[in-house]
Amino acid sequence: MTDLTPVQRERWHEERTRYSRPGFLIQMAALAALVVIPLIFPSFRVMDVVAKIMIFTIVVASYDLILGYTGLLSLGHSMFFGIGAYSLALVIYHAPQPCWYHFLVAAGVALSLSVALALIIAFFSLRVKAIFFAMMTLALAEFTDILAVQWYDLTRAEDGVSFKLPGIFNLGWSGPTLGGIEINGRLMTYYFILVVSVILFVMMVRFIRSPVGRVLKAIRDNEPRATALGYKTFRYQVFSIVFGSSIASLGGILFATWLRYVSPGSTLSTPIMLNILLMVIIGGLGTLYGSIIGAAFIKMTETWLPDLQQAAETVFPNMVILHRLAERWILYFGVLFILVVFFFPRGFVGTAREMIRRRKAIARKRS
Amino acid sequence: MSEPTLSLKDVHTYIGQHHILQGVSLDVNAGRATVLVGRNGAGKSTTLRTIMGLYPVRSGSITLDGEAIQNRKPFHIARLGIGFVPEDHAVLTTLTVEENLRLAMFKESEDGWRRMESIFRLFPDLKRFLHSKAGVLSGGQKQMLAISLALVLDHRIVLIDEPSKGLAPVVVEHLGKSLNQIKDTTTVVLVEQNFYLASQVGQDYFILDDGRVAHHGLMEDLVNDHALKRKYLGIG
Repeated sequence: MTDLTPVQRERWHEERTRYSRPGFLIQMAALAALVVIPLIFPSFRVMDVVAKIMIFTIVVASYDLILGYTGLLSLGHSMFFGIGAYSLALVIYHAPQPCWYHFLVAAGVALSLSVALALIIAFFSLRVKAIFFAMMTLALAEFTDILAVQWYDLTRAEDGVSFKLPGIFNLGWSGPTLGGIEINGRLMTYYFILVVSVILFVMMVRFIRSPVGRVLKAIRDNEPRATALGYKTFRYQVFSIVFGSSIASLGGILFATWLRYVSPGSTLSTPIMLNILLMVIIGGLGTLYGSIIGAAFIKMTETWLPDLQQAAETVFPNMVILHRLAERWILYFGVLFILVVFFFPRGFVGTAREMIRRRKAIARKRS
Repeated sequence: MSEPTLSLKDVHTYIGQHHILQGVSLDVNAGRATVLVGRNGAGKSTTLRTIMGLYPVRSGSITLDGEAIQNRKPFHIARLGIGFVPEDHAVLTTLTVEENLRLAMFKESEDGWRRMESIFRLFPDLKRFLHSKAGVLSGGQKQMLAISLALVLDHRIVLIDEPSKGLAPVVVEHLGKSLNQIKDTTTVVLVEQNFYLASQVGQDYFILDDGRVAHHGLMEDLVNDHALKRKYLGIG
């Protein structure tokens, strides 16, 4: 300890006090909230929104690794999400009986396909121009979407694939009742998604805080400078793309686990990609934690904004004009998005961090 | 006479269709501060960027302690022990000062941390802004950080491209003092338009003109050679 330099000592102290800082306590409170939400609000609708927020948080954070941290615009992230979802659905659908190991097989298939595709995309596009990466990911995503629609024997095309999960994740499974709360297949699936999402999110946070994450940020800032400092930037970019894509495919498995149904429209289509893009912008590019806010904002408005119409009819039964206005909820969604971009140009988390940094700088100057 | 640390022999470099370096030959000796001077467009910065592998060598050779390094990738040349400080205060703007320095350490080591402390003695401002993003630093502070990125590792040679560009005279003066301390610990190749700063730091000089070395020698001789300065640098 005595041999440490002052900066090293500062880092050492920071590491030791990490678990008593407000940030960590807020994270623990959020985690506790996710644990108790299905117990306090047992309605399917609430559980459905929260589960989707968790899943999309993972997918959006994995996208942020590629776009926000490495500076590469991918337009095919939904493809990796879809690959994961279809892997689980098809493995179980084409098996005679759903089994536990199907999750592992699906994860193996999804990860193999994602890594292979990510490597192909990276090797063919990164050596050229950055825009080629966007074009290639878009083309491959479109191709995968069309493939899923056309290959009826395998994917059942737009009809989609419905399937049953094994054991405690089966909707028919019912466990004991604890304190008046019925433990059933839906609840077990929710907690499974919660546990896997937390593990994946922590993995991404550690990835970004590692020296590799620092190099990725350097590449995003100024690639020639990072190269001149001795970093083989191409290798780091490939690593980031492969890692981000693999996490997205695992997010797809979680999505299929929750819905027990997969179709091109719900996983591979362009609107899904646009949603991911919206979420990362709203949350804040290059913030990782912004993915939670972005996913929550979009999923909550998507779920509860259409209720405006019903609310208007209930509260003001005779005001037809108000009913008509309430029907246009998708328009308000657009307005809301514009307002968010206008008032939070760096996304919610990005703008908040900026404000905190500015305040700290002012305080430092005063001291 | 010992072998030079860095040696360029008849190096030709093109940028697009333009033939910029037209046979540059120069030797940099270990422990010396060598300055490249010349008018705008003479090829000074291109020489540094060619050494770093940022521009390909069309013909000729570049050796570092006898090992040929021409046309190797920039990251490989950096790992061989050449530190590079590009012009225009090239720092990683969204990283903090500390993150910039830790990034430049490449592999964090005790030696690197100790060097970081000695950098803070050289540039105390960097310690003050340790947790600030590099993007919010002033021009002078950015330049100090840019130079520090090359000092946090024990490089065999450090190439510095126009460190005084765009800086206030008072900052340039501080920079000159710091560069004088740096040259005591490592071999430096400096490209500099500000002849006063160049003459303060440099021990050897090379005058570049139209992509070739027009003259070279000891800096103290150049300082007193007004005719040469007028001819190639436009100053008396």
